Parts: sequence; C-alpha cells; structure tokens
Amino acid sequence: MRLSIAFLVLNLLLFAICTASLEAAENEASLPGPFAPAVAAAQNRTVKIYGGTIGRSPGYATGIIVSDKGEILTEQGSMLASGTLRVVLPDGSEHTAQVVRRSQTLQVALLKIDAATPLFFDLTPREDAAAEGDWILAVSNCFKVAEGAEALSVNMGVLSLRMRLDARRGLQDFPYDGDVLLIDAITSNPGAAGGAVVDLHGELVGMIGKVIEGKSTNTRLNYAVPRDHLADFLAGKEPTGNSVATSPATRGDLGLRLFPLGGRKSPAYIDRVVPSSPAAVAGLKADDLIVSVAGQVIKDVGDYERVAETLAAGTEVTLEVKRRAELLMFKLTPAAK
Amino acid sequence: MLGRLLHRVSLLSVALLALGLPGFAVAQDVSPSLEPIDPQAELQGTLLAPRAFRAAAEAIKPQMVRIETFGGLTAQAAGAGGFRPGEGPTTGVIVSADGLILTSTFNFLKKPPIITVVLPSGDRKVAQMRGKDETRKLCLLKIETTESLPVPQWVPRDELRVGQWAIALGVGFGEKEAALSAGIISAVHRMGDKAVQTDANLSPANYGGPLIDIEGRLIGICVPLSPGGNEAAAGAEWYDSGIGFAVPLPPEHKIFTALKEGKTLERGFLGVQTKQLEKHAPGAEVLKIVPKSGAETAKLAEKDIIVAVDGTPALDPTHLTSLMQRYVAGDELELEVRRGEETLKLKATLGKVPPPEAKPKPKPEVKKVEDPAKKPEDQPPKDNRPAEDQPAEEEEAPAEKPAE
Repeated sequence: MRLSIAFLVLNLLLFAICTASLEAAENEASLPGPFAPAVAAAQNRTVKIYGGTIGRSPGYATGIIVSDKGEILTEQGSMLASGTLRVVLPDGSEHTAQVVRRSQTLQVALLKIDAATPLFFDLTPREDAAAEGDWILAVSNCFKVAEGAEALSVNMGVLSLRMRLDARRGLQDFPYDGDVLLIDAITSNPGAAGGAVVDLHGELVGMIGKVIEGKSTNTRLNYAVPRDHLADFLAGKEPTGNSVATSPATRGDLGLRLFPLGGRKSPAYIDRVVPSSPAAVAGLKADDLIVSVAGQVIKDVGDYERVAETLAAGTEVTLEVKRRAELLMFKLTPAAK
Repeated sequence: MLGRLLHRVSLLSVALLALGLPGFAVAQDVSPSLEPIDPQAELQGTLLAPRAFRAAAEAIKPQMVRIETFGGLTAQAAGAGGFRPGEGPTTGVIVSADGLILTSTFNFLKKPPIITVVLPSGDRKVAQMRGKDETRKLCLLKIETTESLPVPQWVPRDELRVGQWAIALGVGFGEKEAALSAGIISAVHRMGDKAVQTDANLSPANYGGPLIDIEGRLIGICVPLSPGGNEAAAGAEWYDSGIGFAVPLPPEHKIFTALKEGKTLERGFLGVQTKQLEKHAPGAEVLKIVPKSGAETAKLAEKDIIVAVDGTPALDPTHLTSLMQRYVAGDELELEVRRGEETLKLKATLGKVPPPEAKPKPKPEVKKVEDPAKKPEDQPPKDNRPAEDQPAEEEEAPAEKPAE
C-alpha cells in the first residue's frame, strides 16, 4: 500500500514536472524555478546501480559519484555480495563496478568503475552546511522507474534533525554507529538507498540510507548519512564509536541495588541502599524510582545498568528520582569499587 | 500545477516577508489567472522560507516539553490491534502559565503509572493526567510550578487558509532538539470539524506536539485521527503519508474547560439506525431506535426523517454520522425531524456508546453507510488498517453509526 502511494505520488510528480516543462516551453517568462539548478547538479552526479538480488528479484540501488576517477559511494547491502554490479552513469553509459571497501558501522560501500567521471560531489567540509528547516532535494533510483539515460527521480523536503541513530532493520538491530540527518521527504523506498540529498546549491548534504525503523518512534525513518561521515569513510577513517565503557580499574559505584524481580525491562526502583555508600550519604532511599542519571533518562533496570557501567570514581553525577509525587535531585560522587 | 502553487507561495513570501507583514499565506485570495513570476523574487522567496521556518520554530520551542513515561504495558500489549508505540519520549505543549500541558492520548498507549515532563529549562517535573477527549485524541497534563510558564498564541481558526505554511515539531526521536517538518494546510475543517489537515509529516515523533504557522503561532496539537477507527492509536498508520491532523483547542474552547475539570470525553451515541431516502432526497429516515438511548428519550420514532442537527442540514445517513462526530457523550443537540406532514424539533442528549455485547444484531441490508473513510478528497491510507477495521466496526454498530 505504502509503495503504491509512493508510486502515485511519483506519478503525480512526474506529471507535474512534465506540465511544468511544457509550460516553460510555451512561456519563456516562467523559468525553471528555484530548485532546477540544484536538481540538475545532483542528477549529473548520481548513478543507477543494478546487480545481485534482493530476495528473489534483481537488485537495484543508487550511488553518488565522489571523485573524477570513477569512485562511487552507495549503501552497503546484500546486493553487493554476489554477481556483477552494473553502474549506469547519468549519460546512460553502463559500466561494471568493483567493491573497493565497506563500512559496517556506516553501512556504506565504495565502488569503482573504469571510467572517468568529471562531475562529482565534493565532500570537503563546508562553512554553510545545511541547517534544520533548509530545503533539501533527494535524488534517487527509487522503484527503478528511471530507465537507461532517464534522469533520476527527485523529492523535495526540509532537513528535520541531525540525530544519533538507534534503529531496527526488519527484526534485527541496524548496525549503524553514527549520526543521521532526518529529512521530511519520503525516501524510505526500494532502490533509493545510496541516492543524493543536496541543498539548494546542489551541494551534497548526505547520502540516502536504507529502509529502517527507528526504535524511539517505531516508524520508518527517512534519513541520510551525513556528508562528514561520508568524507571520513572516503578518507579511510572509521567514525568514532560509542563512548567506551569506563575501564574496571576506575569504575565508580553508587551503592544502589535495584529491585531484582521483573528483569531488565522493569522500572528502576531502588531495592536497597548500601550503608555508608555515596547513595546512602546523599539520602537516597529504597522504593525511590530512578528517573535519570547524569542527564540520561533511565526507563528501566537495563538503562540503569548501562549508564552505571560508564560512571567513573570521583566524578560527580546527578541522579533524579521520583519519591511518591515528588521529583528529587541528588548529587553523588561514585566511590571506587 | 505544483509548480504554480510553489510560484505563488514563494512570491507571496517574498512580498510579505520583505514588508515584514505577518502570515504571508493568510487570506490571500489570488486570482486564478497566472501572473508572470519574477524569477529573482521567486528564488529569493524560496531561499527565505527556511529562515522563516526556523524563526517560527524558535517562537514555539519555549512552550514545548518532552514527555517521558515509566512503567505500564509493554509495547506489544499497548499496540494490540493497532500501532505499536515506540520507546522514545513524546511531545507536549504548555498551554497555561500555571502548568497545564496539552498533548495527545496516543502518547499514553502504555497506560503508564508515572509521567514526567521535561521543561525547556531542563527541569523535570512529575505530571498528573487531568481530563482527556478520546474523540480528539487529546489530553491535559498538569505539573506543579511556582514560576509562570510561557504560553503560545493560538491562530484564530477563521484565519486559517488552505495552502498556507504549516510546520510540525516534536521531540519523539529522543534528541533534545525537536525535528522539524514543513508543509502546508491541506484542509481547515476535517473529522467533524475537530481537526485541521496538513501535509507536513506527522508521526509519533510529533504527536502531542505543535503544528504552527509561519509566525510560530499554534494551529493545533498533532494527533493521529482516522475517520473509521476509534481506538487510541487509530490514524497512526497514516504517519508521514502526506495526510496528518492537528486539533485546535484554545483555552476558551468548552472542551478545554471540560478537560481542565478532569472529564473524560467519549464519542456520543444518539441511538438511531437510519437509511437513505429514495431518490437521494436530503435527510435520513429512522429505521430503528436503540432502547434506552438518547433517541428514545427524545421521543424520536421510526420512520421519522432527520433533516437537520442543530440547524445544519443532514444530507444522508453518512453525513448524519459525520455531523454526530462533532459531539461527545453528554452533549445536548436539537434534531429537526419530519414526521408525516409536520416538522418537529426534538432535543436529545447523547449517551455513551454501549459496550459491544449490549449491541443488538446488525441488519446488513440497511448498511447504507459506506463510511466517511472513503471521502474522495482524502488520500488513501498508507496501509489498509482503517479499511480493514471498517467493516468489523460497522457490523457491530447497532445503527449506521449513530454514535460518533
């Protein structure tokens, strides 16, 4: 259903584009409009990729050209795993591509074709990077409706938010470790992954990601891998991973024991406060519900355990607890274990 | 078509932003003939729009709160038969200086025993649930505060125009910053006049959050709504699909007062089963009266023809159903009824929808009402859920949905 709507929207869009170009031909006063230069710039630097299989059907995706030497970035995925990869350049010419490098943490792959690609996206950092609310245009091979030399499809929207990703793909955790740019154009569609998200200047903002579901909302996310992450990958740098847990030697302890029944998914009620521990000195009591530690929300026992592992002895942290209808704040300095 | 719209919107934005006038899309009756567009002005207008979006967002952010819940049902149990809630926080809007917060009932599918609210200052407060309106998917929370909180400015409903900018904000993705989605108002009166429709992306990321105009004034609170479904999550399956709803509920609204008093408002139930008149004549003929219902108390009789509700003509059974959506249980309304040659005015008080087991067997042959779900102007839903739910809902309904 979702797909068919997307198709419908796409058709409407194509219709609108056709009408618009007809009008332009008829009336010289109505010039291409504010988005046309950026669209053209993006379409000239974005490629169609075919090959492998997705399930039982032939695989297809999108890629962005990132150097004049035929280097192309796309999303890492099962279609890159087997068979021949074919890349169709914006001029319609077809080339065989090799996978050069992949990143599991960004779910990005670098391809190479034996052809010069004089038009490419420059990934060097920009001063005036796109901000929340800025127009973005998403160019992709979604639904592989663009055939041969036909230009790729364009969706318009705004940049919604840059955020840390915590998502699922199907039933599994999505192994992405970095920031993403959420956009309000719908790009969560087959074949769109690897497409270009550009600003009104045609500058690359990011690369369209896969069809995934965010855990905080349980909705499909329309997102792009940010340009800076792509530049790091291209330069051979892996993005910095999660904050590393504090080493056992310096780990601090608050002296809290949580209610053990109900497992890691139950609310983080304090069962016992170790006498003369930092928690006891601060005045925490049994039956207090831990709501946050060091600014991080504690939804359940599992959350508390994760945060507790990162506490360093001697570094003061703020704890918020709910005691009856009151929310109380405590400052504690973890003791060495 | 799309091009023309953009042209016009952006041209207006240039003209009005340049003049510093508020609300560039408000009440502008543009003549249908296409004026030549100055490409420079168009480009400039387009470039300025994102700045206006950000400025509008800044204006409402001091009134936006992050809602966190603790405990309650699991996501599976909470989402049974509908949309499964995510793990993240949700959004609310401060609507009174003394700590009333308007948000969506969608955010409490898990029936959490503990609700906390994080103010823009970073202060976290325990919130108590006041009243809720299940027909609007809205509820009021109350926090204790000694300081006077900032309140938003509501856009008067009659100022809203289809095509004007609308911006949706929410913190449901879990970050401190709100995610921003921009679009336009698609319809000013929807769902029995309860809601405004927008094509900005609405989803659990901003349900309970504000839909604002280009000046940062509050248009409504984003909620999931569905013409057919009535369960708490109905409508959420349409997230990010180009069809979303926001409910305006300024403090002077009587529903707001009811919520403040802690009332729970439900769908109203008149208790009639009606059928289409012959030759599609206007009105709805009463086939059956549900015992002990508001219709019975009002002395409505079989074969009566309901021609108007509170002065609004009822065109057919479907339209009658849609008119009834404007009311909640406990409301009194005046029915204009044709009985034989005479026209009567009957006062009826709506009851609550009876529990399913108390409902009489359906009469399939009189199922005239397909349902407002299939209004042609509405886009088809993202997946079939409302459509699937529809028949079941209707088979149970004693009448052609006199409730609502």
